Amino acid sequence: MFCFKGQRVVAVMLVLVLFAALLSGCRQQDMGGAQVLADEKEKLSTIRVAKQFGLVYAPLMVAEKIDFFSKYGLEVEWLTLGSGGAVREAMAANELDVAFMGIPPYLIGWDKGLPAKIAAGYVVIPVSLVTYDSNIKTLEDFKPEHKIAVPSPGSVQHILLSMALKKQLGDPNVLDDNLVALPHPDGAQAMLAKKDVVAHFTTPPYLFEELDQPGYRVVVDGFDAFGQDFNFNVGLVTEVYHDNNPQGYGAFVQGLNEAMNWVNEHKEETAELLAPEFKIEKEKLLKYLTAEGVNYTTAPYGLMGFAEFMKEAGYISKVPESLSDIAWENILGQVGKREGGPCTLEKIQWSK
Amino acid sequence: MRDFLSKMAFILVIAILWELIRLTGGYPKLLFPGVSSIINALWIERWDIMSKTMFSLKIIGMGLVVAIGLAMFGTFISMSGKFFAEIVTDLMAIMHPLPGIAILPVAILWFGIGIKAILFVIVFSAVWPLINHFYTGFRSIPVNQLEVGRNLGLTGWELALKVMLPASFPHILSGLRTGWARAWQASVAAELVFGAAGGQGGLGWYLYKKRFMMETPGVFAGMLIIVLIGIAVEYLIFAVVEKRTVKKWKTIIN
Repeated sequence: MFCFKGQRVVAVMLVLVLFAALLSGCRQQDMGGAQVLADEKEKLSTIRVAKQFGLVYAPLMVAEKIDFFSKYGLEVEWLTLGSGGAVREAMAANELDVAFMGIPPYLIGWDKGLPAKIAAGYVVIPVSLVTYDSNIKTLEDFKPEHKIAVPSPGSVQHILLSMALKKQLGDPNVLDDNLVALPHPDGAQAMLAKKDVVAHFTTPPYLFEELDQPGYRVVVDGFDAFGQDFNFNVGLVTEVYHDNNPQGYGAFVQGLNEAMNWVNEHKEETAELLAPEFKIEKEKLLKYLTAEGVNYTTAPYGLMGFAEFMKEAGYISKVPESLSDIAWENILGQVGKREGGPCTLEKIQWSK
Repeated sequence: MRDFLSKMAFILVIAILWELIRLTGGYPKLLFPGVSSIINALWIERWDIMSKTMFSLKIIGMGLVVAIGLAMFGTFISMSGKFFAEIVTDLMAIMHPLPGIAILPVAILWFGIGIKAILFVIVFSAVWPLINHFYTGFRSIPVNQLEVGRNLGLTGWELALKVMLPASFPHILSGLRTGWARAWQASVAAELVFGAAGGQGGLGWYLYKKRFMMETPGVFAGMLIIVLIGIAVEYLIFAVVEKRTVKKWKTIIN
């Protein structure tokens, strides 16, 4: 018995020592990070960006392939991460300087203290709820056994569905028990097989692929749910990077603008460049890139519109007091602040 | 009682240490939430956590019952002849190293998204260690014990119940322990990777949701519950069973 106790004490001490070692490791890394930042100030070098895959990310993929950043003296380190959740966690842990995510996931992070703000709007693109069930005409027709696929809880698709539910049925959470979290490809596969789910809130190209099938229709259009256009994603830069590396920040924003514009002006070349990456024919990709409603832009749209609804529905605990709480200066400068009532650009940051 | 007090002291020490590291390290709340916020999350979400826990325990229970049934069947047929024994051993060699979660994509293809797929993963994860331990247990029954039993006139069921079961029970018990642990891991992992269910989901789905809502205290609260259930099952079920059986029979050293 005594021997057992002694073993336990040793075990506890071992755990403590390991823990301390682990944490001191973290500390050193932090100091290392600061050192790197100090070095960066002098020679202006790298920025760590989460690499993401999908039609929406075409400008980012082009930016990586053609390299729009080195002429501004910026070297981009592209990191591949598993999911949107992992991207946000990496940002919180300062393993990442730039990330792209939907406005609702960002607001959830912001509410919890994620130290990053919006440096660029990123793309306006249709997001819709699609079904193949001919009995489902409106949101009222969903029965408890009808499963609806969304990419994840708190995603832009989930929040848009809640917004539409509130507008049409008065209760944003009435279909919560119908939701199934499925990544876009799995959701599209389930939809095309007409198995497990009857509806899917999704984004191009999955949206286009599903709507191409006979009998597949849109039940809720994302822009209708929101009331006007909104950025599908926003480009975020962490506070640490923004404050310590203004040149790098400026270079990244400018490079991103150039990439965005290049895609708009060279859709055919973009299709040619990216078709092997997506593993689809060039013609099909071009069709997607030029589909109605797809707008490759860095302009801010609807940045504030989700917050009030998300607070009301209980997804976040507070609403940004002004745009400056969630966006960096280049966005604030673009939107402006008209005396005597909001200007057009200020108005489009809200939902209707 | 002393045992209980020492465990509470142990937990208290960990909590204090946690707070000390958090406060001295200056880590952001997002990464390293305080003990109070974790307890708070636990309290606010108690009903939700409770129903999720019940759901998890229910499907794990169902999965384990099926897995134990299958394992017993597998053990009996392998005991009944060399041919079956070889098949079962080969199957075990192939399947046992495969993590249950790796089966998930296939499970979803076969059973769709929902409870059935998760149940399949649980059964798959638990059944191989169960067979492994059961089979080893029955094969390691000392021959002289069997013969003593036979000399006393025991045959058939009586022999199985009075000699074979007690002799192999240490193995059966450790099989059940492993099976339970694997089932628990499988259910949480399957839901965490896939988040398969909507209204109906267990603790894995709870963790998944909390992660995507970036509620770090909620994530820790869910983990705490998983650990506590593990401890409870060990001390309230397995330890008691062990005390009443193999320790009483003195088949293992105390």
